[in-house]
Amino acid sequence: MAETLTQQPVARPPKRKKERRFTWKQIKDQRQLIWMSVPLTLYIMLFAYYPVWGWTMAFQNYRPNKSFGEQEWVGFKQFHFLFTDDNFIRVLRNTVAMGFINLVLGFVTAIILALLLNEIRKVLWKRVVQTISYLPHFLSWIIVTGIVATSLSINDGIVNIVLMKLHIINEPILWLSEGKYFWGIVGASHVWKEVGWNTIIYLAAIASIDPALYEAAEIDGANRYKKMQYVTLPGIKGTVVILLIMSIGHILEAGFEVQYLLGNGLVVDWAETIDIFVLKYGLAQGNYSLATAGGIFKTVVSITMLLLANGVAKRLGEERLL
Amino acid sequence: MGGKTKRTFKVSLMLMLSLSFALAGCGGNNNNGNSSSAGEGDKSGNAATQTAGSDAGSDKVKPFEVSVFIGAAGQQPTPDNKIYKKIKEETGATFNMEFLAGDINQKLGVMIAGQDYPDLITGNAKLVTAGAYIPLEDLIEEHAPNLKAHYADYWNMMKDPSDGHIYVLPNYGVYNGKVNSSYYSGPAFWVQKAVLKEFGYPQIKTLDEYFDLIAKYKEKYPTIDGSPTIGFEILNYDWKNWGLFNPPQHLIGHPNDGGVVVNDGVAEIFADKDYAKKYYQKLNEVNERGLLDKETFVQNSDQYLAKLSSGTVLGMFDQHWNFGTAEDALTTQGKIERTYVGLPLVYDTATKDYYRDRPVLNLNNGFGISINAKDPVKIIKLLETLISEDWQKTLAWGIEGEDYYLNEEGRFMRTQEQRDQATDATWQLANKAKSMFEYLPKIEGSYSDGNATGPAEQPEEYQAGLKPYDKEFLDAYGFQTYVDFFSEPPQNPVYYPAWSIDLIDGSDAKIANTKLNELSTKFLPQAILAKPGDFDKVWNDYTSEIGKVNIKAYEDRINELIKWRIDNWSK
Amino acid sequence: MDNRQISPQPNAGIKYRKNSGIGRLEPFLFTTFNTVFMICLVIVTLYPFLNTIAVSFNVGNDTIRGGIYLWPREWTTQNYKAIFASGYVYDAFFISVARTLISTLLNIFLTTMLAYTLSRKDYVFRKVITVIFVLTMYFNAGLIPNYFLIKDLHLLNTFWVYVVPSMISAFNLIVIRTYILTLPEALIESAKIDGAGDFKIFWRVIFPLCKPVLATIALFVAVGAWNAWFDAFIYTSSRQHLSTLQYELMKLISSTMNSNANPSVAHGSGMTAESARDMVTPISIRAAITVVASVPILVVYPFLQKYFVVGLNVGSVKE
Repeated sequence: MAETLTQQPVARPPKRKKERRFTWKQIKDQRQLIWMSVPLTLYIMLFAYYPVWGWTMAFQNYRPNKSFGEQEWVGFKQFHFLFTDDNFIRVLRNTVAMGFINLVLGFVTAIILALLLNEIRKVLWKRVVQTISYLPHFLSWIIVTGIVATSLSINDGIVNIVLMKLHIINEPILWLSEGKYFWGIVGASHVWKEVGWNTIIYLAAIASIDPALYEAAEIDGANRYKKMQYVTLPGIKGTVVILLIMSIGHILEAGFEVQYLLGNGLVVDWAETIDIFVLKYGLAQGNYSLATAGGIFKTVVSITMLLLANGVAKRLGEERLL
Repeated sequence: MGGKTKRTFKVSLMLMLSLSFALAGCGGNNNNGNSSSAGEGDKSGNAATQTAGSDAGSDKVKPFEVSVFIGAAGQQPTPDNKIYKKIKEETGATFNMEFLAGDINQKLGVMIAGQDYPDLITGNAKLVTAGAYIPLEDLIEEHAPNLKAHYADYWNMMKDPSDGHIYVLPNYGVYNGKVNSSYYSGPAFWVQKAVLKEFGYPQIKTLDEYFDLIAKYKEKYPTIDGSPTIGFEILNYDWKNWGLFNPPQHLIGHPNDGGVVVNDGVAEIFADKDYAKKYYQKLNEVNERGLLDKETFVQNSDQYLAKLSSGTVLGMFDQHWNFGTAEDALTTQGKIERTYVGLPLVYDTATKDYYRDRPVLNLNNGFGISINAKDPVKIIKLLETLISEDWQKTLAWGIEGEDYYLNEEGRFMRTQEQRDQATDATWQLANKAKSMFEYLPKIEGSYSDGNATGPAEQPEEYQAGLKPYDKEFLDAYGFQTYVDFFSEPPQNPVYYPAWSIDLIDGSDAKIANTKLNELSTKFLPQAILAKPGDFDKVWNDYTSEIGKVNIKAYEDRINELIKWRIDNWSK
Repeated sequence: MDNRQISPQPNAGIKYRKNSGIGRLEPFLFTTFNTVFMICLVIVTLYPFLNTIAVSFNVGNDTIRGGIYLWPREWTTQNYKAIFASGYVYDAFFISVARTLISTLLNIFLTTMLAYTLSRKDYVFRKVITVIFVLTMYFNAGLIPNYFLIKDLHLLNTFWVYVVPSMISAFNLIVIRTYILTLPEALIESAKIDGAGDFKIFWRVIFPLCKPVLATIALFVAVGAWNAWFDAFIYTSSRQHLSTLQYELMKLISSTMNSNANPSVAHGSGMTAESARDMVTPISIRAAITVVASVPILVVYPFLQKYFVVGLNVGSVKE
């Protein structure tokens, strides 16, 4: 982190260079800003950073009934267990793949839906659609996966019925028995559950676009698509880029609940994620150390991805997070 | 957006903020003020110490509170629950119960790390290892003659293998008097009653006969109530994996030892043995004959139960308790003929079935007293009181005249109304001390007056609840209950059951066990669904993968403990 | 960094093509497509909720059979009765409302205040504070050290453990900061010239302009606080009077699952069809719980929704 902190001022135009060294005058002038932010920073240091001492557990054979001094130190044993397991590569692949699919599908569908909702002229209808589309967010995964599994059934599952009626398939497909479909099913389930909810933030961004811009575009003879292209999209671009950068950092957060609930022996090679692995060999075995090691690994990957994404955005002259 | 809206918004925001700080004070007060119900550690501790000095035999009971952690889900009883009220009136004890809702490993992790234990905690191997309980031997010797007598035969079995102390008082498995069993809750190959009736109540003993019967019925009735008939189901979802994993050990005449088969006190895994292969090859053939549900390996537990309760599934291997809800649903629909009867199948008739076992001591379950309990004597005396027959009757049957009655022969019976209300979860919250009783030491079998220690075990109760269809069915076989389909179990081996051996978290043994389960979950469905010609190939992949797992660590741990049990438990 | 480019300039150089013949038909086609699409969306997303409601009013033992879609097959209110039977749900409801309200207001106020300082390009600690907060999104110290912190701060078994540890979320902070950056800088400049201090600028100028984004953030925080159960599970589980609605419901569903999978419960013995009908099952109770838990928060939604669906005329406020 220190690297970026020191690097960036150099990369900036020279006139900003003085920003690097702050003077007492600046501090004095900005004392209100300082009062408004520094206490909250101390607060987050206490609640988020201070407990990070617990990461030492990853290098121990942590036993909760022992005090810190009594713990057995084992070096990189936990990481070794994690990285050398036969399944690790596969589990990592699944996590990245599903994380990536969720990221792309999540972004694209939410933005498209936001744009289409924005095109609805009748306010009531728009509100109704929007309210309904976010309802599935309030259902737990166990309910959603229950409905998904029923819909994919070969007996009376709606998916097979519809595809048969449309003559796309000739006989029902046992969707959940084939690894090749699994990632797609997980991705689609995510979209189904979260698309309405994910749209909200873009709707808020669209709502804040100055209507004068649309009026101006209209006067220039812009049609619907031109307005989307030249007013709406640029208007929400900042939000999109920032959210994208933040999400890229969460690429390993493919989750475990959906995979756990929809997975089975036949697709286990495609379904198991890092979280499931760590749960099975960490927490379920009372091995808090392995769980911590898994967490550290994910953090390292996350922050690397975040910095990369931020760097790319900077290179492209886009909005940046940091 | 006028200025007015803005102002109201801001004013209300400020109001809320100040309210929140006012509530802060409130919250603090609340904590102190409510301690009677909340059970602040110190205060209840004081109360307990005060009463500790007083004479236990005196008429006046001084109230005291026991904080309890129950490591399983449960519901808080209503504040005016009649049984807890009676306990409070007669012993002075109130329970401040906490139930688990969420992951037990997370909860125990913080509990152990913070040493935040209540007075009474349900048994758990992790807590024993962490030293959360106090040893109970001396306390019981000194203050609890009835408990001592209750557990006399099981005393050595209750000792912890690592240091020989008794930390937890098992809640189930201590039997007195005649043991009545009219309900079998364990594992078996199940078949719809209608299937047996259809072919004139045949005796089905072997796996081959079983599948032939199912095939015959399915051929005759390709649909049931308009839906396609399903021959056989295998549930393998999450931790419910016995439907796939366990049959081989039973088919060769062994009882349920979990993942191992024990011969002459030596345990070995059976997952990769030939008699296991024989079973899965049979399933492969069954699948080829179209008897196996196509969806069987992708379904979740709910879908499985849905199929069972639709009445279209002819058979499966399962533990009875796992599909009780499906049978309830069938009962509700009036489809008694679609409920199931358990068959103890074996490979060949020369093998004696050993599905049903003698009740075993429920180790590492029940209550232990924590190191934080201020007055363990008071608590052990309370448990001593509650093990008396009168209290046991109150806890198991309820209050005479309200929840059950005595007939002319002095037998405990219930009216249909009493039976109905007893199944109502809402009624139970106000009228049963279900959650505590489940974990308290208890008498099982029969009381000194000959009555069974619970309505479900009372033979008259069972017969009264039996439906005409069942009577006819049982008469055809000349049986009293469905339990009679199983051989009378021999005396359990001393070490039995191996599945209750704690593998120790994070040990090589436990990791090997997890790996083995992973492989079985992955390969067995593949093998069963494979083309018959490919079966051997998949099976060889499976066994060679098992070869890479540290099975020895797993078997060694089990054998070590079997030996320990034989050395220490033998009378 | 600068995304105040949302001004008419980008459009200035663009020449729009004149509407041709197909163009006249186009709006109709688009509207039709859009309407059909939205109807499909409504059907697909409404179904799971309607299904859940139907299941919640259906007899538990009947639901097990499956095949419940939009309407209960055997009507009952038993599932709801089971939820409200113990009475603890009412107290828990109050706690949930209180924590949601307080959390939302504190979050909104503190996060926006901080976001404002981080939007000020001249602020000396801007960079370092941004980094400090952003990173918190990507790591978690773990359960046990967090527990020790809460314990050492004497927050264990208090109401405040629901509020204090989550007063600011980095995600929300960044979203609000991004939003504030789109507001014209001239607003701040002119306020400065009028002699307003930074807090006053934030409170009088920035805060009121943030309504659309604050409505969104309020929704995020409120839903998060309302749905949270883990803190009640770890930090206050031994205090019944501090239990939240979600945690009570969680206990209920777990206990239903438990009693349905309990080897010691003899199913079927002595049970009549009528009493079997009154039994609750995990599926049915879960459905009823979902309805009970989500309806209160759904009721709030339309009030917040108007800010981001209908849109706020920021432009007119800017002048």
